[in-house]
Amino acid sequence: MNPRLLATLLVALPLAAWAQEAPSWKFSGYGTVGLAHSDNRNADYLVDEFKPNGPGYTRAWSADVDSRLGLQLSAQITPTISAVVQVLSQQDENNSYRPQVEWANVRWQPTPEFSIRAGRIVLPVFMVTDTRRIGYATPWVRPPVEMYAMVPVSHNDGVDASYRLELGAAANTFQLTAGTWKHDFPTATGYGGGTAKARDILAFIDTFEQGPLTLRLSLGRANLEIPQFSQFTDAFAAFGPLGQGIDERYFPSTMHLKYVGLGATYDPGRWFAMGEWGRFDTRSVLGTKVAWYGSAGYRLGKFTPYVTYARASVDSPTGDPGIPLAGLPPPVAAGAAALNAALNQTLNLLPRQRTVSIGARWDFAKNAALKVQYDHVDLDAGSTGTFGNIQPGFQPGGRVGIFSAVVDFVF
Amino acid sequence: MNAQIKRLVAGLALCLGSAAAMAQDVVPVVSARSPIARLDAAQVADIFLGKTSRFPDGSIAMPVDQSEDSPVRDRFYAQFTGKSPAQVKAYWSKVIFTGRGQPPRQAADSTEVKRIVSDNPHAIGYIDASQVDSSVRVLAAR
Repeated sequence: MNPRLLATLLVALPLAAWAQEAPSWKFSGYGTVGLAHSDNRNADYLVDEFKPNGPGYTRAWSADVDSRLGLQLSAQITPTISAVVQVLSQQDENNSYRPQVEWANVRWQPTPEFSIRAGRIVLPVFMVTDTRRIGYATPWVRPPVEMYAMVPVSHNDGVDASYRLELGAAANTFQLTAGTWKHDFPTATGYGGGTAKARDILAFIDTFEQGPLTLRLSLGRANLEIPQFSQFTDAFAAFGPLGQGIDERYFPSTMHLKYVGLGATYDPGRWFAMGEWGRFDTRSVLGTKVAWYGSAGYRLGKFTPYVTYARASVDSPTGDPGIPLAGLPPPVAAGAAALNAALNQTLNLLPRQRTVSIGARWDFAKNAALKVQYDHVDLDAGSTGTFGNIQPGFQPGGRVGIFSAVVDFVF
Repeated sequence: MNAQIKRLVAGLALCLGSAAAMAQDVVPVVSARSPIARLDAAQVADIFLGKTSRFPDGSIAMPVDQSEDSPVRDRFYAQFTGKSPAQVKAYWSKVIFTGRGQPPRQAADSTEVKRIVSDNPHAIGYIDASQVDSSVRVLAAR
């Protein structure tokens, strides 16, 4: 054992005991009460693929987009071992607020720089993935949907290790995570319900911090299974090698996902600016999605007005000719045409849109902030964007205005 | 006339002087037994925001905060981190609810800060400059 580590352990043990008489318990919580309005009644504004409905078609005003309550119990069991459980209640895929375990893990931290966690752990895919539920901790009503609907995962069951390297005035933190994840889809988003299962998740995050500057690189991979896609596999198999080729390209039984995220934040206190870019590659009908945003705000006492521009685009086909109909007997051609239509409909769910948001945060009380935000969502030609429950009257490629007001609190 | 101008200038200087004292009235303190002599504002900020757990010499740093209602706390964070009380709270919400850590231990007042700091060579606190006594040592800002 190296002498510095040994010295740290010898010093850290009694000091940690002094800092928090072990075992010590802490109870805390966060929440949001919010309302959002859409000016388009022909589709629901969905902030991720697990929302069953939202403002728009289901109702003009919805409290379900942002309202939530999270409760956390943490315990320092010994000077180096701690545990945390967080339970979160928010609108889930079944349209209920049944509390879910957001995370529950045990952490071993033998030195201030190194820790290992096991259990249900946050999976920080992008820069604010781990804090997006905690409205009080973010400047906006919600993180840009273009970026944060892309990988709607917030935790994984497994282990992670983190090591912080201090470089004078700067610090670099490496984090490695491995685990599994599963989640039910609602039918609203067009993927037909069912349970998505991700296995062999492996993620690496490198965070560099120096004073007001934070730079972040995130890389990850996983194997994803969406069982309801097997119905496509069966249908395409009926059309021989050509059908099988289409099936292998779009509906593999296991999708090999890869993502990369780059982010930067500069926050000297009076103002902040941040930007992020990410790419999510599924090599399947879920496509290759690319998103980025830039956001800046200025603090005037208790008021922080901000603007954000966000863009979601797709770097893979959003349409496919499918099975050639020429030469097929009429009843078979009709079946092939229906299957081609279903494939193209699914491919066209890949969101292409841009949003300009303006808003303000008002820290009106010690533990609470009021925020209002207006989003001008501009859909690319032919795209229904991040909207769901699409009704016949909805105009793909149109524009939609979303107004939101929330109160965020912590205790 | 001349004397009047002199008095005016002297008065003005006094005002400026006390304004400077007002801006500098929160000082980081360590135990009189601590080997740490000086830290720059960014190093103090990193310790209190949990971005580092060590002094520059590698020894463990144990920050001691003042209570959330105390004006000295608000002045300290404004001066050393550039953050308002709400920004500090938002920052810690981020850390707490992602399981990355807990904010520093809180002392009830400057007297308790001095007691904890004087007892422990690893502790670092901050108090109003007028409260400094021989039990603690003021860290020179670099």
